[in-house]
Amino acid sequence: MTTLSFFTDGGGMHAWAIATAAMVAAGCALVGTLLVVRRMSLVGDAISHAVLPGIVVAVLAGGRLGGPLVLVGAVAAALLTVWLTQLLRSEGGLSEDAGAGVAFTTLFAVGVVIVTAAASRIDLDPACVLHGLLELVPFDTVPILGVEVPRAFLTATVVFVTLALTAIATWKLQVFTAFDPGAARAAGVPVAAVTTGLLVATALATVAGFEAVGAILVVAMLVVPAATAELLTRRLHRIAVLAILLGVVAAAIGYLAAWRWNTTAAGMIAVVLGMQYLACVLLSPDDGLVARLCNRGWFAWRVACEDRLAAWWRAEEAVARGDTFPSAEGPTLGDRVADVWLAITGRVSRGPRGWTLSGRGREQADMVVRSHRLWESWLGRHAELPLDHLHPPAEWIEHHLGAEVRRRIEAEVGTQASDPHGRTIPPEP
Amino acid sequence: MQPPPREPILEFHDVTVAYGRRPVLWNIDLAIDEPCLFGIIGPNGAGKSTLLKAALGLVPLAGGTVRFFGQPFAEVRGRVGYVPQRETVDWDFPVSVSDVVLMGTYARLGWFRRPGPQEREIARESLARVGLADVAGRQIGKLSGGQQQRVFLARALAQQADVYVLDEPMAGVDARSQDLIFGVLSELREAGRLVVVVHHDLPTAAQWFDRVALIDMRLVAAGPTAAVLTPQNLERTYAGRLDLLDELGRAVEERGRTS
Repeated sequence: MTTLSFFTDGGGMHAWAIATAAMVAAGCALVGTLLVVRRMSLVGDAISHAVLPGIVVAVLAGGRLGGPLVLVGAVAAALLTVWLTQLLRSEGGLSEDAGAGVAFTTLFAVGVVIVTAAASRIDLDPACVLHGLLELVPFDTVPILGVEVPRAFLTATVVFVTLALTAIATWKLQVFTAFDPGAARAAGVPVAAVTTGLLVATALATVAGFEAVGAILVVAMLVVPAATAELLTRRLHRIAVLAILLGVVAAAIGYLAAWRWNTTAAGMIAVVLGMQYLACVLLSPDDGLVARLCNRGWFAWRVACEDRLAAWWRAEEAVARGDTFPSAEGPTLGDRVADVWLAITGRVSRGPRGWTLSGRGREQADMVVRSHRLWESWLGRHAELPLDHLHPPAEWIEHHLGAEVRRRIEAEVGTQASDPHGRTIPPEP
Repeated sequence: MQPPPREPILEFHDVTVAYGRRPVLWNIDLAIDEPCLFGIIGPNGAGKSTLLKAALGLVPLAGGTVRFFGQPFAEVRGRVGYVPQRETVDWDFPVSVSDVVLMGTYARLGWFRRPGPQEREIARESLARVGLADVAGRQIGKLSGGQQQRVFLARALAQQADVYVLDEPMAGVDARSQDLIFGVLSELREAGRLVVVVHHDLPTAAQWFDRVALIDMRLVAAGPTAAVLTPQNLERTYAGRLDLLDELGRAVEERGRTS
């Protein structure tokens, strides 16, 4: 029902709004990628706010939102902020972040003051400045080839295409400058121009999104998709493409969710962006919280099983040597669970005294004890430690030594068949 | 008939460098005429790295001139390969090892041309020379410090320059990487390149470099290693620190007088 009424209720309107939000998100994500990897996210924040007075003055001078005059005003205000920030740093002795904090908040406030004071003469309302009015975007259209196209969509598209083409043409320079500005300058890259270009691009991406999503939420579009993409891949061009996709997807999902629950579209888009980030923090394949917890849990379980195998192996060794069978020193609950699991997987079976190793169990236990005793031998030889210092490190290293390292240790300590305690080192199968 | 006078490969003429208003290098005169392994040696804060950066136009000169092959650096930048200090960049930056090495070819490519198969081949060869062919696709943060330094060296090699300028390439580097780096630098010298290295460790300096300059805010001595690293010169560089220069620098900065 809801889906149907969504499309019958002027689906075209919604489609235009979504397309506009997606275009804005794409442009912001592209620029934001470079800002995030250059640790300039705060600059994005500053610029997205500081463009306001530029926009307001341009509108007062007769410009239209999304028109060329407003774009020029916004870029001028953005560059003014950056210049003021640098001035505050070099002359006022402020740190970079404090300087930016002073410059952009002041400029933004000036913009808010003018908007409010000139409210009667100006087609801009303060609420729109902060939150945008994505829902109203489809009603302000211009005819293109007989189709009524929303002005905001047109602006966002022109800006995105311009940014994308520029990024493709200058990608090499952007990456070199971002990674190693010193070497880039020595190699003849116009580092200052490249950085200024990035700031201008930030201003353009921001102002294109200003009308649709507002000054505050455009920051989310700049920073969050890139931060999310950075969790998923470690190559810059892939981060950029992925960030654009994430931004577009969030724009669509956010708009539909806002329509469904009858709330602000811009806010919902930013919420979706935040949820994408959260999902990646949890689910990222290598560094994700879930993956890390699983790895840790799986490793602890492997250690527990290997320790039990080694314990039964040593018990059998003691019996073979003619010692009394070491009384089980109250195995913990974990030990018992591990024993049961080893039995289920056929590595131990019920014997006269607790469990007996099966052929496969013995093979695995051989490896654990072999790793343990080889490490003790190696430590004993290289660190000149007293005998009682050898067991504890070997107890955890035994779970980490692979066949290759075992062979190398053996080659070094010699194929003597006993460890520093005089016990036999089982051979590699 | 006399052969025409050859320009020095690298020449500093009366170079003074200031940070803000405060001079940190005073009136350096230094000319390197022949391809060799050249060490720039001095204590911490002596201005060794600053001297390199001044040569490459990365810090402005307060006075004097620097010339490569008799020309300003801007005219010959493609012929000069630069290896900055390893700590100056963020090694978590999302690029692969071969991406970084390819950056060495950008000076030749100009601003907009993309690296092609030829550049990729050069990058592969450069990586192989520093013993890192097998990690080409890895993210740079996954490498050890010594490997990262070798990536930087490979990037300079990919530039196929005539002069190589290295800032503390042996700092915080494991013994194997040190040997490998020194091996590559020696090869470059054999191939007729000039290699200028900022270095702070005296024993290895005596062992590695053909010629050295001792620097402590001013040039103390320069020439063949054995002739320069004498007890008197070292005393003048390390122990006999001219606090006067430092104090005067601060006074200039504050527009005051020294006490």
